[in-house]
Amino acid sequence: MPSPVVPDPTAGRRPRWVYSVGAEPDARFSLANERTFLAWVRTALALLAAGVALEALALPIHPGLRLAAAVVLVVLGAVAAPAAWIGWARAERAMRRGDALPAPTSFAVLVVGVALAGVLVLLGVLLA
Amino acid sequence: MSGSEAGLPPGRPAGPAADPLAAERTALAWRRTALALLGGSLAAGRLLQPTLGGAAWGVAGVGVVLAVLVLAVAHRRRVLARADARDPAHPHGVVGGGRLVTVTAAGTALLGLCGVLLVARG
Repeated sequence: MPSPVVPDPTAGRRPRWVYSVGAEPDARFSLANERTFLAWVRTALALLAAGVALEALALPIHPGLRLAAAVVLVVLGAVAAPAAWIGWARAERAMRRGDALPAPTSFAVLVVGVALAGVLVLLGVLLA
Repeated sequence: MSGSEAGLPPGRPAGPAADPLAAERTALAWRRTALALLGGSLAAGRLLQPTLGGAAWGVAGVGVVLAVLVLAVAHRRRVLARADARDPAHPHGVVGGGRLVTVTAAGTALLGLCGVLLVARG
């Protein structure tokens, strides 16, 4: 017996490669996915603010190491925004298909980058 | 409608009517993000001015417009979620596709480019 035809609530939604597959998940899961995306966006903004502040405030840190730390933070912040979007889309797609959630690929980059920036600032303070 | 509001099994499309706090948390998360974008855009405009001149305020303007848009959508969703909580039989569908998500990511990426530009110029 064919399933009854229900108007598709996802008809106008973008991106199509996310919303054209699977079935509507529990709205609470989609909302949680959105909040995770937003947390990444705020992380990206915080990384950008930290990197820019490091250069703009002319802190008493070894200039080369300060610039290196600022570059690491700012590049991380710039990369985190598209990474947040890709993570959101992949998670939403997996939930619609009933698949396991994709492994978080951005964690390692974020942790290594922030640790590296911290070490650079520490060395910069010691060598100033 | 079968099943009480509280006793819905997981995995079933339950909607924010089953958990109005989830919609509330999400609206607040959008609001926090909008405020961060607002602050970031204004700071970018101020800091980029020596480098870009008047165009810096164009960048800031894009960010401010985006932040206001996010605030407006968050507010609208909150209103709809409250309506759904009062009247679960006629849900509005508070989860609204990926357009705002995509625009937010693009705006943040733009601020990211500004940050890279700033640091690269010294």
